[in-house]
Amino acid sequence: MRFLSRRLAAISVALVGVGFVIGACGDGDAAGENSTELVVLAAASLTESFGDIAEDFEALHDDVEVVLSFGPSDGLATQIIEGAPADVFASASGTWMDAVEADGGPGTQHRTDFARNRLTLITPPDNPSDVRSIEDLGESGIKLVLAAEDVPAGGYARDALANAGVAQQAESNVVSNEEDVKAVIQKVLLGEADAGIVYVTDVTPGIGDDVHAIPIPKDSNVIATYPIAVVAGSDHADLGSEWIRMVTSPQGQAVLHSYHFLPPT
Amino acid sequence: MTHRARSTGVPPGLVAIAVIGVAFVTLPIVGIVLRADWSRAGDVLPSSSTVTAFRLSLTVATAAAIVDLVLGVPVALLLTRVPFRGKTAVRALVVLPLVLPPVVGGVGLLAALGRRGILGGPLEAVGVTLPFTTTGAVVATAFVSFPLVVLATEAGLRSMDGRLEDAARAMGGRRWYVLRRVTLPLLLPQLVAGGVLAWARALGEFGATLMFAGNLAGRTQTLPLAVFEVTQTDPRGALLVALLLVVVSIAVLVALRGRFLGSERRGSP
Repeated sequence: MRFLSRRLAAISVALVGVGFVIGACGDGDAAGENSTELVVLAAASLTESFGDIAEDFEALHDDVEVVLSFGPSDGLATQIIEGAPADVFASASGTWMDAVEADGGPGTQHRTDFARNRLTLITPPDNPSDVRSIEDLGESGIKLVLAAEDVPAGGYARDALANAGVAQQAESNVVSNEEDVKAVIQKVLLGEADAGIVYVTDVTPGIGDDVHAIPIPKDSNVIATYPIAVVAGSDHADLGSEWIRMVTSPQGQAVLHSYHFLPPT
Repeated sequence: MTHRARSTGVPPGLVAIAVIGVAFVTLPIVGIVLRADWSRAGDVLPSSSTVTAFRLSLTVATAAAIVDLVLGVPVALLLTRVPFRGKTAVRALVVLPLVLPPVVGGVGLLAALGRRGILGGPLEAVGVTLPFTTTGAVVATAFVSFPLVVLATEAGLRSMDGRLEDAARAMGGRRWYVLRRVTLPLLLPQLVAGGVLAWARALGEFGATLMFAGNLAGRTQTLPLAVFEVTQTDPRGALLVALLLVVVSIAVLVALRGRFLGSERRGSP
């Protein structure tokens, strides 16, 4: 017994040691290749398009790895204000870029609008509650899922519902305030929600068959403008502004267009 | 084993590592205390959203602990007292929620009990909807905390002196009677310990609840979900709310240790 447990202890210590060595090697390799990490925090709705653009960007910069972190713009802004190491921030609303620039935030450089977006109504393919228009979301008994109010997609969705004149009734149909717009889609994809409001860009070819999209007419719809900026104090400010140039270049705009984003103006 | 006062048999180096270990789990709590915006405690803690979430959390956790006890104690009895094939597999399955990522548990619950789930049709037929309801939050938290009741009860059953039950049966006690009057009373400390641990686990549950029950104030937004939502825009305020959870959890664990876990046997030298 004693022998065994000693051996176990020795093995554990050895494993921990090996772990350290491997960890150290990893660091060494990274330093040896001089590879730079560009940390881009971006609104969840940019998941697919920024993923594509990152591949293009890395193809042009041998020694750069783009680290993408997607989430709700309000949460990302808070992370940046709290000191998370971020080089670039792309928000789904000016409000949260303003927050980064306000007192207490690090501030930004090279801020520019790079895309616009619109909303769409989605339901499961069989549309269990027979939702046909945004006005229908005011009818009682519909299980509506929205992004939380502080999340840009949630704020815009409520604006659109107000434009359609069903803000109050629809709010009482909300069964869940989701963390970000992708979580809204997930609940509809799973068939648990009767309807959700997301960006048109979220209805990607990959999920096109699994959700039913119902356009929201112009007079109710809301245009979301997306700003991007280098976070002040970034160690890779030059690279960050190159990323912004890439996003605003014809090549980057073509990627965004392919996911149905509108040009910034 | 005989104990002598000083020679604990623990080498000093180990004590140093133990100190690091204690610091490792304590520092985050200290961090929360230091970082929280105490000047706003008077606004944030009594705010209606915090109170609503706290009250809902207490309700959901209590209901979950009751569900766990009602379903978990029979499972523990089955696993310790009834011989059957495949017991190892059943035990592994029953304990699985303990190690499963809660979000995965939530997805599984949707696949089983959601509108499109295995039992979704039958449930709907009898008018039961679980996703996006408080009952759903209870189901999600009960799922995650279930193994704690089973494990605690099993441990109690294994260490129990079976002769008392044998004697009761020998004196002609029927099985239900022996269970109610002998087995369960003897098990009481473990039942309480398991129930309280499950309650505490349910109180802190996040991922499965968010996935299965969603996030709506007053209905499914328990305190951990409220903390998460507030964190997105007001992390320092969220820390205050988080401290509520910390205080309740510590109180529960201290009470448990003193009364039931009792690993420090009183009166021993």
